[in-house]
Amino acid sequence: MSININKIRSSIPQIIMIGDYPPIIQSIMDYDFLCQKESPSIQAIIGANKRGQRYFWGKKEILIPFYNNLDETPNHLNDRINLFLNVTSARRVNFTSEITVNALKNIMGGVIFAENIPEKNTLGLLEIIKNKDIFLIGPSSVGLLIPGKLKLGAIGGVEPRQLYNPVLYNPGNIAVFSASGGMTNELINIVSGFGKRISFCLSFGADRFPLTTPVDAILTAENDPKTTHIVYFGELGGTDEYEIVKLVRSGKIKKPIIAYIGGSISDHFPTPPQFGHAKALAKDKLETAKEKLEALKRSGVKTASSFTEYVKLIKSIPDVSKDIFAVDVNYLDLHIRKKALFASSISKETPSGVEILGEDQLTLSKNNSFSYIVSSMLLGRKIRSKELEEFTDLTLKLLVDNGPSVSGALNTIITARAGKDLVSSLAAGLLTIGKRFGGSVNGAADNWLNGVSSNINAHDFVEEFAKNAKIIEGIGHKKYRIDNPDPRVIELVKWSTKLKSGKFLKFARSIEAITSEKKANLILNVDGAMAAIFLDILSEKEGFSLKELKELTKVEFFNAFFVIPRSVGFIAHYLDQERLDEGLFRLPTEEISYVKRP
Amino acid sequence: MARVKISEFRAKSILFSELDVKYYGLCVNRSDDIDKIISSLSSDQTYVIKIDQGIKKRQKEGLLFKDIKKIQLKDNARKLFSKGYDNLLIEEFIPHKEVEEYFLSLERLRTGVFSYYSKKGGVDVEQNKNEVRNDLLNEKTFSRIDDYFEMKSGITKKIFSVFEDQYFSFLETNPFLVRGGIPFFLDLAVEVDDTAENLTGIGWKRSDFVQAKLNLTPEESKVQSLADKSSASLKLKVLNPNGSIFTIFSGGGASIVLADEIGNTGKVDELADYAEYSGNPNEDETYLFTKEILSLMKKSTGKNKVLYIAGGVANFTDIRSTFKGVIRALEEYGDGLKKQGVKVYVRRGGPYQEEGLKIMRECLAKLGILGRVAGPEEILTNIIIKK
Repeated sequence: MSININKIRSSIPQIIMIGDYPPIIQSIMDYDFLCQKESPSIQAIIGANKRGQRYFWGKKEILIPFYNNLDETPNHLNDRINLFLNVTSARRVNFTSEITVNALKNIMGGVIFAENIPEKNTLGLLEIIKNKDIFLIGPSSVGLLIPGKLKLGAIGGVEPRQLYNPVLYNPGNIAVFSASGGMTNELINIVSGFGKRISFCLSFGADRFPLTTPVDAILTAENDPKTTHIVYFGELGGTDEYEIVKLVRSGKIKKPIIAYIGGSISDHFPTPPQFGHAKALAKDKLETAKEKLEALKRSGVKTASSFTEYVKLIKSIPDVSKDIFAVDVNYLDLHIRKKALFASSISKETPSGVEILGEDQLTLSKNNSFSYIVSSMLLGRKIRSKELEEFTDLTLKLLVDNGPSVSGALNTIITARAGKDLVSSLAAGLLTIGKRFGGSVNGAADNWLNGVSSNINAHDFVEEFAKNAKIIEGIGHKKYRIDNPDPRVIELVKWSTKLKSGKFLKFARSIEAITSEKKANLILNVDGAMAAIFLDILSEKEGFSLKELKELTKVEFFNAFFVIPRSVGFIAHYLDQERLDEGLFRLPTEEISYVKRP
Repeated sequence: MARVKISEFRAKSILFSELDVKYYGLCVNRSDDIDKIISSLSSDQTYVIKIDQGIKKRQKEGLLFKDIKKIQLKDNARKLFSKGYDNLLIEEFIPHKEVEEYFLSLERLRTGVFSYYSKKGGVDVEQNKNEVRNDLLNEKTFSRIDDYFEMKSGITKKIFSVFEDQYFSFLETNPFLVRGGIPFFLDLAVEVDDTAENLTGIGWKRSDFVQAKLNLTPEESKVQSLADKSSASLKLKVLNPNGSIFTIFSGGGASIVLADEIGNTGKVDELADYAEYSGNPNEDETYLFTKEILSLMKKSTGKNKVLYIAGGVANFTDIRSTFKGVIRALEEYGDGLKKQGVKVYVRRGGPYQEEGLKIMRECLAKLGILGRVAGPEEILTNIIIKK
């Protein structure tokens, strides 16, 4: 498995994080920012219980989206991703890596960060990429770095001050490899100290079976046109170095290798300790640092017998690179920035007033209708279609009130008569909104969305609910029946003829056709109709994908279109009661019948 | 994080149970009441008594006695304990001829599970190297090994399945017998992948790990139990309790380089320990870890003691917070260290190194044990060479 470094160099790295590891993510963001990239290479994070996480982009904060899994990520995102960094635990890493590799068609490769992955499972990871043109680095790797292009992992450091080092940005000619993350960084530091620059570097991780082996890495460097010299730090244990010897002898590797093998100390002990790395224990003489170093030396590899000597050899590598890039001095203080407590993407205060969705509030108000502003703010971005504005306007008007007898209005009236103030009375009405009253627009949207996404036929869909004895939100009315339809629904449906396919409304009506057969009042209600038409508009006119619509139902977007107009109705009822002032209401005793539970 | 040997008793229990072979073995620890354990044994047969601590070539080293009568077991146990070992295994002795002794090994390699096997097993297997066959284990080769040893069809596959399911990394039985098509392992050594501790069901556990080393020092055991509970890596091995060079290294690779450099200076004999932490342990962990090394240091009779707190340029280990823990421990032992004339030499780089190195320098100066504090501007090994 050789890595095509040039292919990565000529790509735009688009990284998906599998798992959340804030210091590493922030360091990659900082690196990209200091590289003066237009946007971060990290596109999304797969992790639980969040929809987004704020990270610094320079000194400002931006939101990186979170998704539970790769089924939820938008398709255009999945298509764009070409690299991944898996920071999930050893227990989950095989599962998550396999899904990632199979779900993303443009993936070039990834890095596995987890330590303590059983050997057998690591070999399982190798199976995942068998016969695929995908590289995997790790396990327990700090990652891959290509100066000025890519930082895929903790490699190079995680603190902003570590990232000011010019060696990370200016491409050079020296490839640096080590099993040890710390030593990789140490070597980058040494190369940098001599004013030299690297072509790329990676740490394969110190497990017994690294997915990218030292030989793979060295062949990668041999094939990389920018690399002229290879700096390799090996350790006692394992026999990888003999493979390197073979390749050097056979002429497959021509570029000079400068090598040091750590662990000669081990020979001083009758029973050597297990050193820090899993692999770092010589099973026999062949695996000792000394034997491996000798074999490399005999094959013509430049070897050092002490680290000091090794550093001297590195110093003697000819350097052809010129520093063409310097970190912007205005950003040398990134380590002192502070995270804000809250984030908002709706509005912000400006010296002259308030800005809503990126536009000055006054300008926005002067040039647009109330419905335009409401639907844009609820969507979190300016709407693009006349249709959404129009339909919002229609629903806002149609739903202001549905008579004084409905639960919400009645609660407002009773509260008002109890002498409570406007806000309390309004709240009493609002708190009534839920699954049975007014608050099923979102549930209905979720139903139609699930139905259309899964391509289920209407009959099976209804059966599914019947089987679980669940009501279908969006279907059913207390008063109206199939032969006496809700006039508001008729109006909404009439409006919807402006749309092309109207697949959500079609689906909703197909459900109604079945349920109303069973019972005449199981008709498409106003919540259900609204939900279906909003879905149709968002999908046809605003470019929302099914996954994006799902995101809207998750945040209860659709219920807002009931709550807003009905608040008007509740307030009107409150004011009306205040004016009538009939005093405290008491329910006549006969209106409550005393029942015994069996 | 590595391959570890498990006790022969556990290895046999796992394997025999999978092959439906009855197995009797008695584990005896130094602290056990041996009379009580032996009392259940029959006097009608003889026994094998051997060290069960992952030692190779026990027969040649005199760490195994066979064909022992019940009444002699206690004496033989004493003999073995007197060599400094703690755990013994008693099994029934199975009379057999030398030509019946076979050899089989399995090892996990990158390419798969690889097997070496030979009918010329026993103590002289190495002299009969040419007789040893090898195969990569798979559906095609299982039967080849079954046939070669005249074992019932499917036995090799079963052994292979146990090897896989139980996350074995290495298995060697030498010798083993085949009777009625069923293998009987006389001596068995198994290495498991300790990262799979929670994946083996009722198989092996951490308590089945054996160490050739006779006794862990209290400091080593404490670090071991600290490491067991941590996501970071923490290691301590005492090399010379009365040494004068003490180490708290960080980074798997850098720690080896630093240890090598001590070797290069010709002072290996004075090296008291190999201690290494990495993977961003938290402040409490580095505090508890450092305390153990300082405890060793306090006890050592070595002269002109030095302590190296050294490591490479970390990628994600927080220097400030790890050093805070180290400093807490140094402050606790400060007076004692000063009295002994200890000097501390520090070299480190990584996230928040500026703050980390600063508080370390201040602490060592205040305690009067400052040797030198260096950052990544100095080559890693300088701290060992240049005082």
